[in-house]
Amino acid sequence: MAAEKKLSYEEARDELAEIVESLEDGSATLEESLKLWERGEELSKICQEWLDGAKKKLDAAKSTSDKKPAE
Amino acid sequence: MFETSSESPAPVRVVSEAIKDYIDRLGPIWIEGEISELNERSGGMAFMRLRDTSADMSISVMCYKTVLASVQPLPANARVVIYAKPSWFTKNGSLTMSAKEIRQVGVGELLARLEALKEKLAAEGLFSADRKIALPRLPRKVGLICGRNTDAEKDVVENARRRWPAVEFEIREVAVQGAAAVVEVSAALSELEALPEVDVIIITRGGGSFEDLLPFSDESLVRLAADCSTPIVSAIGHEKDAPLLDLVADYRASTPTDAAKRVVPDIAQEISDIEKIRDRIFRRLLSTIDYELNQIAQLRNRPVMKDPGVMVTTRRDEIKAWRDRSIRSFASILEIEKKELKGVRDHLRSLSPQSTMDRGYSVVQLSDGSIVRDATKLKTGAVLRIRAAKGETSATVNEK
Repeated sequence: MAAEKKLSYEEARDELAEIVESLEDGSATLEESLKLWERGEELSKICQEWLDGAKKKLDAAKSTSDKKPAE
Repeated sequence: MFETSSESPAPVRVVSEAIKDYIDRLGPIWIEGEISELNERSGGMAFMRLRDTSADMSISVMCYKTVLASVQPLPANARVVIYAKPSWFTKNGSLTMSAKEIRQVGVGELLARLEALKEKLAAEGLFSADRKIALPRLPRKVGLICGRNTDAEKDVVENARRRWPAVEFEIREVAVQGAAAVVEVSAALSELEALPEVDVIIITRGGGSFEDLLPFSDESLVRLAADCSTPIVSAIGHEKDAPLLDLVADYRASTPTDAAKRVVPDIAQEISDIEKIRDRIFRRLLSTIDYELNQIAQLRNRPVMKDPGVMVTTRRDEIKAWRDRSIRSFASILEIEKKELKGVRDHLRSLSPQSTMDRGYSVVQLSDGSIVRDATKLKTGAVLRIRAAKGETSATVNEK
């Protein structure tokens, strides 16, 4: 899981896209498909958290800068 | 030369007389300079100090008031050419030039010289645009060379502070007119140029007479300014005045206020620019994030991700299809086999003698089972088996 933390957003997104494609392709075995799907779920969660976090940070920065002129 | 030693020194009078002797033999010469002090004492003599226009050097000059009268009234810091002979005063050991003639250097003459100097410096490329150094966006310190307590100084300092309150100055208050100006401005310029923190130097002076502004066209000062690696802003006199320093400066300000505007940015403008840039960054980032969120949402909504059951159901359907197919195939095989069996059976049935026998025929066999096809070959007394359509019996051949 420690290695997972190092995954950049783009890496996670690209891997997720690849997984979805190979799932749609249907060439994988059932066992492989199940693993791919689990990995896909994990990756989509990482991506979502990454983006939600970025947006939250941005909103926080914006709200502090908007307050300044009123001081 | 006297032969002197510590044991037999020459008295002052002898030395002074000897100097006088030597100096008296010198002839009169023409000298140009600027009158910095003029003293018309009671009596027939006038005393003045003639200063060099570029270097910090001067000599004392005396003349009859009648000689001076020919050029009076003289403006302050007047440029003059005198015809004088050196005189040694034995009483106090001082040397004074005794002027026999004084002529003021006219404005026309000065302008002509200025024009010649301008052409010379231009030919050397001192005014060319590629020598100009860009002014810093925000200097660590601003060097300011100006007169003492002048409006020019106040204008620069106040306007610069208004635009950028944290601006720091390194101010050198110097003589900005008269013979001392070139020397003092040059010294201040060299000093500020040597300070690493000073990123730009303003040389300013309010308006004045043509003579007042002459120091700012002095060749040595102009060359010094040209050699400075620190950018220089000149704000000398009014728009119409164009001292040579303006041409060599990296920026020629129209007024001290304009100079202040050039050396520091306007803080309000900067803050608003930064805000605008921040806004742009925010908008750009937000749209990137929204785009990516959409990408991820699309990936998550793909049927394979949203309904992972498909993974199983497609396979189950596949198995069912195969099973159905196998059942169908098996059923059809069975059918074919059945039909085939019936055919064979029918065929078999068609080949059986039963139906012939049903029509009234009987099969006659010998005791060894062979069928009797030729009655002439039968022997008398042979036992025959007769098979009818239904049941069988035996018989014996009686005679032939």
